[in-house]
Formats: sequence, C-alpha cells, structure tokens
Amino acid sequence: MPREDREAAAGAVAVAIRKVGKRFGSVAALDDVSLDIRRGEFFSLLGPSGCGKTTLLRSIGGFEAPTEGDILIEGRSVLHLAPYERPTNMIFQHLALFPHLGVRDNVGFGLRMKGADRAETARRVQEVLRLVRLEEYGDRRVDQLSGGQRQRVAMARALVNDPAVLLLDEPLGALDLQLRLQMQEELRRLQRQLGATFVFVTHDQGEAMAMSDRIAVMNAGRLQQVGTPAEIYERPANRFVATFVGHANLVEARLTGRRQDGFAEAVSADGLAFLGQAPPHAGARDAVLAVLRHEKLRVHPSDTVQAGVAASVVERTYMGSSLRFTCRAQGGAILTADTPNDMPGRDIAEGAAVLLDWSPADVVFLTE
Amino acid sequence: MLPGVAWLVVFGLAPVLFMIAVSFWRSSIFGTTPDFVLDSYARIIEEPLYLDLIVKTLRMAALATLLSLVVSYPLAWFLATRRGVWKAIWLVAVFVPFWISYVVRTFVWLPILGRNGLINQALLSLGIVDAPVEWLLYNEGAVYVGLVYVYTLFMTLPIYLALGRIDPKLLEASADLGARPWQTFRHVVLPLSWPGVLSGCIMVFLLAVSAYVTPRLLGGTSGIMLGNMIASQFLSNNNWAMGAALSVTLVGIVGALLLVAGRWIGVAEVFTGGRK
Repeated sequence: MPREDREAAAGAVAVAIRKVGKRFGSVAALDDVSLDIRRGEFFSLLGPSGCGKTTLLRSIGGFEAPTEGDILIEGRSVLHLAPYERPTNMIFQHLALFPHLGVRDNVGFGLRMKGADRAETARRVQEVLRLVRLEEYGDRRVDQLSGGQRQRVAMARALVNDPAVLLLDEPLGALDLQLRLQMQEELRRLQRQLGATFVFVTHDQGEAMAMSDRIAVMNAGRLQQVGTPAEIYERPANRFVATFVGHANLVEARLTGRRQDGFAEAVSADGLAFLGQAPPHAGARDAVLAVLRHEKLRVHPSDTVQAGVAASVVERTYMGSSLRFTCRAQGGAILTADTPNDMPGRDIAEGAAVLLDWSPADVVFLTE
Repeated sequence: MLPGVAWLVVFGLAPVLFMIAVSFWRSSIFGTTPDFVLDSYARIIEEPLYLDLIVKTLRMAALATLLSLVVSYPLAWFLATRRGVWKAIWLVAVFVPFWISYVVRTFVWLPILGRNGLINQALLSLGIVDAPVEWLLYNEGAVYVGLVYVYTLFMTLPIYLALGRIDPKLLEASADLGARPWQTFRHVVLPLSWPGVLSGCIMVFLLAVSAYVTPRLLGGTSGIMLGNMIASQFLSNNNWAMGAALSVTLVGIVGALLLVAGRWIGVAEVFTGGRK
C-alpha cells in the first residue's frame, strides 16, 4: 500500500484528491491535481478566478464529475455518489437559502430530508442556531435578515448535518470589508470549536492567509504549491505563487557561487548582486529568479548607514500604514520597498539618494 | 393614469354595471323592459334546471382545470429545463398552435373524434372494433378534451415562468443537504412554483367556467354548460334579463370561491407577484 493510501485509511486524511482532471472539450479546468486535506484542518484553495478552485470544490461536493482521477472522503471513493449521498455540505457563494422557508426550516432542511424525528430536529436546530448566535431569529423569514445573519443561517444549515467535510465556495465574497473580517473570525471560531474539516475557496490571499491552516495555490487548473501560510509566503515555489501571494521584487539573475553557510550568490544582468537561500536542485551557473518581498527591502538615507546598494527614490507612495518607495538602483534595476509608517526613513523624499539593504535569509532563488 | 382609468371605466366597469342593471329588468314574451324586479333570480333559485347547470358547470371547470394542471406541469418542467437553441425550438413548437383561433382549435377535434374520424378509422383498420365508437364525441368527455387542449397554455405559461425563476443553486443546495430528487421536487420546486400553479389554475378555471364554443361544438346535449344557456337566453329566447341574471350569478359564485380559496392558498400572491 502506498504511503498516502495508508494515511487515508488511518483516518488522518479527510479528503484525498488523486490525479484529478476535468476537461471541458479541449480546455482543462483541472489538470492532474493531487492533494490530501487532513482531518480537522482549515484548508483553503486559493487562486485567481478561472483557476479551477471552484471546480475542484464542486467535484468534492458531487456537483461536477472529474474526467480523470479519484476523490476519496474518509478513505472511500465518492465519485459514484450523488451530492445527496456524500458526507459533505456546501456553503454556496450566494448562500442559496430557501426563500420559501423561515430560518428554522432552512436550518432543519437537511435533517428533515433524512427523516430525523421532529423533536430531535427542533433540538438540533436550536443548538446550531445558538452556535452561530442566531437563537432569537428562528421564526424570521430569510429576507428579513441582514447579510451577516444570512451568512450565519447558511453556516447553521450546513453544520447541523455534522458533515465530514464542510465546503465553502467564497461565501464571504459579497460582504463589505468590516463584516467580512468579522465573518472570517466567526468561521475560524466555529471551525476550531467543532474541530471540523473546512475546505474554503477564495481568490483573496489575505483571507486565505488569515484563516487557513494550510493553503493550496492554484492557477490554470494546476496545483502550484501546498503549504502553511508562512511557507507559501516565505518560500514561494514558483513565479506565480511569488506574484499572486503578497508583493515581491522579482529579479532575473544567474548563480555565481555557493557558500559554505548554505547561501548562494547570484548577479543580475544589470549588476545587482544577491545573496540568498541556495536553491536545492540548481547547477552552479543556472539562471534563477531572485524573490524579495517588498517589506523585506529596507531603505536608508545615504548619510545614516555605511553599506548597501546605492539607489535613488523614483516614487514615494503614501499607503496609510506603510510607505512604498520605488527605487532605481545603480545599474538600472527597479526595486520596491514597503516601509512601516513609523520607521525613521519615512521622511525620505522623491529623488533622494538612498542605500538599500536586506537580509540574505529573505531572498529566495527560484529555478525555472 | 387617466387613460388607464378611462379604459377600465368604459370597457370594464360600465358593461358590468349595465349587465347587473339588466338582470333586474322585466322579461315577457314581448321582450325585456327596464324595471327593478327579482323575477329572474327567483327563477334561478326555484328551477332546478338552472341550479343543476350551474353546479355542473363549476364541476366541469374544476375538472378541466385539474386535467390541465396534470398535463401542463410536466410540460412546463420540460420547457424550463431545456437549454439553448432547443429551448427556443420547443417553446415555439408549444406556442405556435395557440396563434390559431381557439374556434379552429376546437373544431379540429371533430374530424379526430367523430364517427368517421381519425381515431375510429385507426381502430377499425386495426381490427380493434367492428363498428365506429360513438362515445368519443358529443358528451362531457369530449368537452374536457377540448377545454384542456384550448386552455392548457394558460396553465403552462405561468408554471413555466415560475419554474424559470427558481435559482438552480437552490436545487443544488437541496441535493447537498441530502434531498433525493423527488424530495427536492416536493420541498423546493413545488412550493416555489406554487404561485405559477395558482395563477394557471385561476386562469383556466375562469376561462373554462365561461366556456361557450367548446361545449357548443363538442358537447352535444349532455355536454352543455352555463355559457350555452346564457347565450341562448340572449340570442334565441330573447330574455336578456335571464341571461344577465345567470351571468351575474356565475360571476358572484366564482368571485366568492376565489375569496374563500384565497384564505388558504394565498391567491393574493398571484395578483401581487408574491410581494406582501
């Protein structure tokens, strides 16, 4: 038995995606996607629209049929099961609450369909309404609720069925920012409290970062990287992840040497020298892409420090909590730095001569 | 506003008021003269002939409505679930016959159901019967066939529209929550299409209860309805007062039925488009 099958059988894996592909004619919405979603984890599928994340989620729920591969939930293949036979529940993008039913009947719908007895249904519905803090609203019609309350009804309606996996299809997309942050917190609280497995689809990297135990970044139907928010952010696996998640300087360079301490040296075409984490499988003089996050690049007025890369400030953008300096280094490379608003360098003006520096530990070399 | 109000007064309210007035006129063998007497209403109550015909007409209209619903709901569902160019083709196929006059569409049943009609010829040539079947035409059954065929679109259309307004995500949500297809139909589709069903039932019932051409052409003597009786009061008996009184009685009864029905099936929603 291969390792991943043993893991699935042992119950550590809630959802196993095995080489799943989905083709619409000649277009591949999903292309050879394999990943394991662990039991009790908040897992996000992150990517731009059309990257296949929703297709993957809907395939888990049974609303799309993959053309290749297999999907296992709790170790059992579910491809032959209809949505109403799967141990999953979905929170839909636009919630899809039943307009002809009140809050209580919306929430109790799943239990009623399974023929649960009336008293038990009423008890469970009340319990879940309390969980989402809507116990006073059972008798309301759904069109009498605010956006946030409707959101909670949708959560309650799914959670009352005690699904093995809860699927969330960008349910927060339609909310304004404040409510969105509040609901993020609420979802996270529920997930921790219930210890349930959540699979959350979003195109918002901030949302994915803030909520997830692990994230799968997708693009053009393919998996780009799977990891914790920190791994995704600090160690992007490729150019797509480096640009889609956060803001980064990307500089084409060529490796020039490898040092004893694990760092490698590289030089860009315009003469910028980098020290950074040595890429594991790179030849001595390979082309690499140096990735340096905007906030890891520090800007100093040239009279305050001795060493650094000489540059001049081309543009200074005030962004509230931070300042963005776009700098042209000697040799012509353009580098961008985001500086917290309380740093000493905040008064640097456009056109000023500055010195740039960064820690080698913050530079990632990508081989492509 | 004003042109609409004027229209309603001249073509809606005035004829009804005139009809009510006429129903109190005095009728004799010399014709109908303006007056205020209850003679016609008294006769409607006293003569079982009239009451029986009113009850029979209501019963026939109700059954025709029910039969239309049974035919129309699956048809509306079929149309609502088609996609793309096929939807257009099917819609046209369903609607085109209704561009033809309903008189013609009723008439067309004569060569189908008649003694030498299509069905009898088929039965004879297949050797299923030795002599033409006589009971296909000129009875109540033939009237139902005609009414359902002529008015079914008034049932299909509102149901089709109601089904089309149902968000497909609701059907997914229902399946996701464990509802099997028939449960989704019973608990989501049916309640959400209910306003369409009600509109359709009311339309078809109102049309069927006042049917005149269909029972006239297909009903023979046993399939006669109140509409035929009213027409004959005006056209052959020259008793306008009686015709008017029968009309007013029918309108009154149907109005009362709608009011009563409205108490428990939410007819108000039909006329307000579901808004409260």
